[in-house]
Amino acid sequence: MFTCKQVSKALHKDDLAKMSLFRRVCLKLHVRLCIFCGKFNQQVIESQDMCSCYKKHVSQGILEQPKLGPTQKEALKDLLRE
Amino acid sequence: MPKKETPATKVPVTPPDQWVDKYGDYLYGFAMSRLRNPESAQDCVQDTLLAGIKALNRFDGSRDIKFWLRGIMRNKIVDQIRRSIKENKVDIEAEDEALLESFWFKYSGIATTNPDPWQFNPRKYYDNGEFWKVFQTCIDEVKEPARQAFVLRVLEDQTTDEVCKVLDVTPNYLWVLLHRARQQLKVTLESRWKESD
Repeated sequence: MFTCKQVSKALHKDDLAKMSLFRRVCLKLHVRLCIFCGKFNQQVIESQDMCSCYKKHVSQGILEQPKLGPTQKEALKDLLRE
Repeated sequence: MPKKETPATKVPVTPPDQWVDKYGDYLYGFAMSRLRNPESAQDCVQDTLLAGIKALNRFDGSRDIKFWLRGIMRNKIVDQIRRSIKENKVDIEAEDEALLESFWFKYSGIATTNPDPWQFNPRKYYDNGEFWKVFQTCIDEVKEPARQAFVLRVLEDQTTDEVCKVLDVTPNYLWVLLHRARQQLKVTLESRWKESD
């Protein structure tokens, strides 16, 4: 069984979703039951989950992002031509 | 009978003179989502395109060139952050030092046993594009260097060791920076999303 410190350290080092199933189950169980680190680390897990969803939106180009202006594009094209 | 191996279909290479029109906006938007600074983002696009031309003979056609260029851009983003850290070194604040010395951090690796609960359930809005727009503006508002730590560790998936090297901080202080970033993100998101909900 993991200690609170080991759970916190593991979540600091890696996203829960990227861990092995066994490790994920152990950590989740600890977080669910622990009266000391449970609430805090649950929020860390939720934050990881939210950020991975955000990254999917950005990489798929679903979110509207600022675009290059025409002059910026021309400058870049000139540079590539050189 | 042995199975015939079918060669993987190769993605056609877009000539570099079309990159700006085809991928310029995408790459610029991606850089802006990480760097927040239009000049740095433009420099990043420029460096990426030039590096892409140099390395084009190594492109194996296994994926769209847009994503290959994005892969190059991720390294350029880290370089940009490294440069800005060199100019503004990360200093540990007294409040952060106190957090690292606190009983709960030493005993459990946490800041508090009782963090403020979320005022709404963010999961409910994961399919809502507006929510992610607000989320993005909230990331932009996280103060440096916590935002830089967040971008490198969380958005760019760098390891803690790599981020510590780039920011020149200890793993414990990186933990503080990420904690601050998450805290600020939560507070801003709660107030912003309530406003726009």
